[in-house]
Amino acid sequence: MNQYRVMVIDDEKIVCDMAKMSLEHEGYIVETFLNAEPALARLKAERFDVVVTDYKMKGIDGMDVLRDVKNLYPGTDVIMITAFANLDTAIEALRGKVHDFFPKPVKIKALKTSIQRALSKKK
Amino acid sequence: MKIERKIILYNIFNVALILLIGFFAFQNLNLMLTKLKFVEIADDMNTAFLEMRLSEKNYFLYNDRTALDEIKEKIDQTTASIEQVKADIVKAIGETDINTLKSHLNRYSALIGEVRQNGNNRDVQMGLRLRDAGKKLREFSESMTKLERKRVNEIIEVSKKILFSSFWVVLAFAIAVSHFISQRILKSLRKIETLAASITEGKFATIQGIRSKDEFDSVISAINTMSEELRNREEQIIQSKKLASLGILTAGVAHELTNPINNISMIAQAYEELYDKLSRKERVEFMNKVEGETERMRSIVKNLLDFSRPKKADMKEADINVVMQKAFKLVQNMLEVSNVDAKLNLMDGLNHVFIDEDQIKQVLVNLITNAVQAMHGGGRLFISTRTGKNKDSVEITVRDTGKGIPPEFLPHVFDPFFTTKGEGGTGLGLSVSYGIIKNHKGDIRVESWIGEGTTFTIELPVYTEAGDALIHEGVK
Repeated sequence: MNQYRVMVIDDEKIVCDMAKMSLEHEGYIVETFLNAEPALARLKAERFDVVVTDYKMKGIDGMDVLRDVKNLYPGTDVIMITAFANLDTAIEALRGKVHDFFPKPVKIKALKTSIQRALSKKK
Repeated sequence: MKIERKIILYNIFNVALILLIGFFAFQNLNLMLTKLKFVEIADDMNTAFLEMRLSEKNYFLYNDRTALDEIKEKIDQTTASIEQVKADIVKAIGETDINTLKSHLNRYSALIGEVRQNGNNRDVQMGLRLRDAGKKLREFSESMTKLERKRVNEIIEVSKKILFSSFWVVLAFAIAVSHFISQRILKSLRKIETLAASITEGKFATIQGIRSKDEFDSVISAINTMSEELRNREEQIIQSKKLASLGILTAGVAHELTNPINNISMIAQAYEELYDKLSRKERVEFMNKVEGETERMRSIVKNLLDFSRPKKADMKEADINVVMQKAFKLVQNMLEVSNVDAKLNLMDGLNHVFIDEDQIKQVLVNLITNAVQAMHGGGRLFISTRTGKNKDSVEITVRDTGKGIPPEFLPHVFDPFFTTKGEGGTGLGLSVSYGIIKNHKGDIRVESWIGEGTTFTIELPVYTEAGDALIHEGVK
């Protein structure tokens, strides 16, 4: 049983709930947030191993989250989820040193594989 | 009747009138000539009768028998000349008078014959009878002449009067007819002018109840056809503009649909993965979530379809705030995607308006999408309703914090095909919105400050029973 900490930020409650249930089933410690502000506050208090965030959100968006996470914990990987499957956002995300990029609808298995790959780098 | 035919008819009538007057004048002139001819003949006769009487006197005074022969000769001459011009005389004085004259002459002639045979100048009785007959003949002849002279004068007087009054009749008739025709022309022109003015204002009315089948009838029906055609075109433009707005809305709608699709997909994946671990209650909860998400999708699609469907203008009493909320729902996602922070500030208890809800929604969506396009990278949008300044209207404002419209462009923003968006704009959005608001007897205006933003203000008249009829007329 690994005890890695994963944070999920998405303004859709179902995304948070499903990701949490599925990841917890794998043994991860999961915390979910419906918007970025409390999530970033929580990150300041505690380090997470992987942050999964929605790209497009009201107020602070996914790119802001990526920048703040990298400032706080350069070793923490960020996985981006977005409804916009366009090249521009993908390039923007990759330039910002995002670990992976998932267009909606998200394949949970692929997301888990991506999280595992991110964590295996650390070992 | 055609105006051309009216003028021709009028001219024919006038010519006929003049011919009639001419005919009467000619008749009078002829009569006058006959009378004058008779007067001339009568003058000759009078002279002859006078000479006869002189000879008669010679006979009685000097017993000059040759005088009687002279009288006989004169009588024969006069009788012959009367017979010669009898037709003219009959025409002038009639059969009765000429017979009377002839009988006077015959009597005189008979007496002369008697005197010549067996009379002498001392026969007083005979003398008296002859003198009496001669006098009567002369008097009758002279009174005839006098009477005919008088008649000639009368005819001249009558002719003068006829000519004078027919001049006035013809003049009055000409004035009346030209006034009538020009009034008809002016009336038709005024109708056309009013229609042209209403077309300029974008109200494509038609002229009803054309009675005259003249040239204006065809002009008016041509303009009516044009107006109807313009109205159809306007409806097409409104629809095409709606479809264009739909293109802009689609980006927002796509995003809006992606989320419930993603949710359903994730629920399905988690359900499959965790099936054995889920309680019956949890499974039901999962399925309820799926149902909730499909409901969400259905309402998104329905909203969009409602907006895109072409509809005939349908004026109804409505609460503008409800319409504002419906329009806002359509654009909400586009606003989120475009990072626009929108504030809806609707005044409670507003008077109702009389509108085509679909068209007003279209205007609002159009103004909001314009605002979003003016705010690259996001901004703030203030949408509000309140009672108009004069209380008889409702005011809607859409204010953005975009780049603003340069002052030199402001007067043209409602012109068709005017656009500041380059290739991206058709330049029809605001012109269509303007047309819609004008059709609602409302007003739309714009204020803008470079770098600060733009405010569009719409005023719609408050619903009243009377106003309802007024707008119906305008829209029809």
